[in-house]
Amino acid sequence: MHKFLKTLIPFDIAKGMLITGKHFSKVFFSANRRKVPFHVVSEYPEVPAKMQPRFRGRLQLLRDEAGEIKCVCCMACEKICPTQVITIESDKKEVRKTKLPTRYDFEMERCIFCEFCVESCGFDSIILNHQFELAVYNREDMSIAMDGKFQNMFGISPVAKYSVADEKD
Amino acid sequence: MFKNEEMEINLGPQHPSTHGVLRVKLRLDGETIKHCRPMIGYLHRGVEKICENKTYFQGQIWTDRMDYCSAIANNLGWAEANEKLFGITVPRRAQYIRTMLNEFNRLASHLVWLATHALDIGAMTVFLYTFREREDILDINEAFCGSRLTTTALRIGGLREDLPPGFEKMVQKFLAKFPACLEEYENLLSENRIWKKRTVGVAKLNAEDAIALGVTGPMLRAAGVPYDIRKAFPYAAYAEMDFEIPTRTEADTYARYLVRLAEMRQSARIIQQCMDGMPEGPVMAKVPKILKAEVNEVYHATEAPKGEIGYYLVGEKGNPNPYRFHVRAPGFINLQSLPKMVEGSLLADIVAAIGTLDIVLGEIDR
Repeated sequence: MHKFLKTLIPFDIAKGMLITGKHFSKVFFSANRRKVPFHVVSEYPEVPAKMQPRFRGRLQLLRDEAGEIKCVCCMACEKICPTQVITIESDKKEVRKTKLPTRYDFEMERCIFCEFCVESCGFDSIILNHQFELAVYNREDMSIAMDGKFQNMFGISPVAKYSVADEKD
Repeated sequence: MFKNEEMEINLGPQHPSTHGVLRVKLRLDGETIKHCRPMIGYLHRGVEKICENKTYFQGQIWTDRMDYCSAIANNLGWAEANEKLFGITVPRRAQYIRTMLNEFNRLASHLVWLATHALDIGAMTVFLYTFREREDILDINEAFCGSRLTTTALRIGGLREDLPPGFEKMVQKFLAKFPACLEEYENLLSENRIWKKRTVGVAKLNAEDAIALGVTGPMLRAAGVPYDIRKAFPYAAYAEMDFEIPTRTEADTYARYLVRLAEMRQSARIIQQCMDGMPEGPVMAKVPKILKAEVNEVYHATEAPKGEIGYYLVGEKGNPNPYRFHVRAPGFINLQSLPKMVEGSLLADIVAAIGTLDIVLGEIDR
């Protein structure tokens, strides 16, 4: 009898539907209220996404307080890079005791953002910044150098050219 | 007009339920599967060969990209195999953090499995709930190492960095809500008649066949063999953890579902123990800048979410790269049990069988 009743009335499916209903009503009654206890959706392009402090984004060259490039061309990052995306050329200059890079190329299309380069750097001259909007229209824009037009190794926001604000007009 | 002949069809490589680019060659008699052969290799990148041309440090990033659902478990195996090869002792705090991250990874992998498996069989709702919890785990990954999926979180000799500030709060918040979430999945599926009709008694693989085919992980434990490398050959900090190995004896798809759910409970338990007993100290051992092996070989197996993942490394004297590198991928070995499970059953059951294998093609093809 009990088994027959169980077959007749789908208790098991009702149990599942109850969970769905619970979650639905939770969202339904709290939507458009001022105090929403849980935020699932973030209004991303309008409100910039907040990354964790350790987030691994694009490679960036740093300058010290005087505006000098910190990199001394020890080639540690070039050697450790598993996909060989970094190319450094250096030049001995009179202004500084250490070497100064004349060329620091970073081919972002092949970069896997493992942070081995930053780890190997003994001079804290490179970081992976919090940039994650790395889409570009042309493939050449993926290759980042020291003297790029809108994408260079020092810039914090290489894709600012393609921001949402621009697309509106 | 009506000829009594068998029909050959291909399931995949673009079929949504084959979890990637798996192609299964089937010979059907009506709706009964007579012959089944999985064809692999569509995602072959030559990871093993690439790693032989990279240094021991650089090789790690390729292990992330084999089984992309459980990158930390792959990293752990790689790091421990190297530590065995070079005789590096990892600090105790690093061991604990590794254990904890590995268990988080197991949770994430099992949640993806549950989501996709249920989606294949026809229960869409579970997908949305499991990915909600997985998101929290990926956030924890991001807070720890800066990346969500391909983490590269561990290093040979320990960890790159200690736990970030506020990490414990994130973990406790997750652990507080996770048991309730697991109950939700169980309420949605465990007694659901549609779910049971699709899974109970489907794709059976008994213990004898499983051992003969080299099947490991939850697949083997659902057949009643309590073999878990975390207990059998403890690594990292598992020797100090108190946990059980959930087993079932039914050896069907439903039993594997129950085993994996029970495993998730145990994982949450291990994470709690790691947080409670976290020792102080450094997280990185002294590792030379260039690792060069004497001629020796090492095989190290760890328990990945899918089964036993083993790394075989041969070092060469004076060479900063491994001479030979081989991976015993759990998905690759488990997949060969597919013909055994589905031959003689109905065509619809192969979808459940592929789902219950929990395969990731990045690992199978490497």
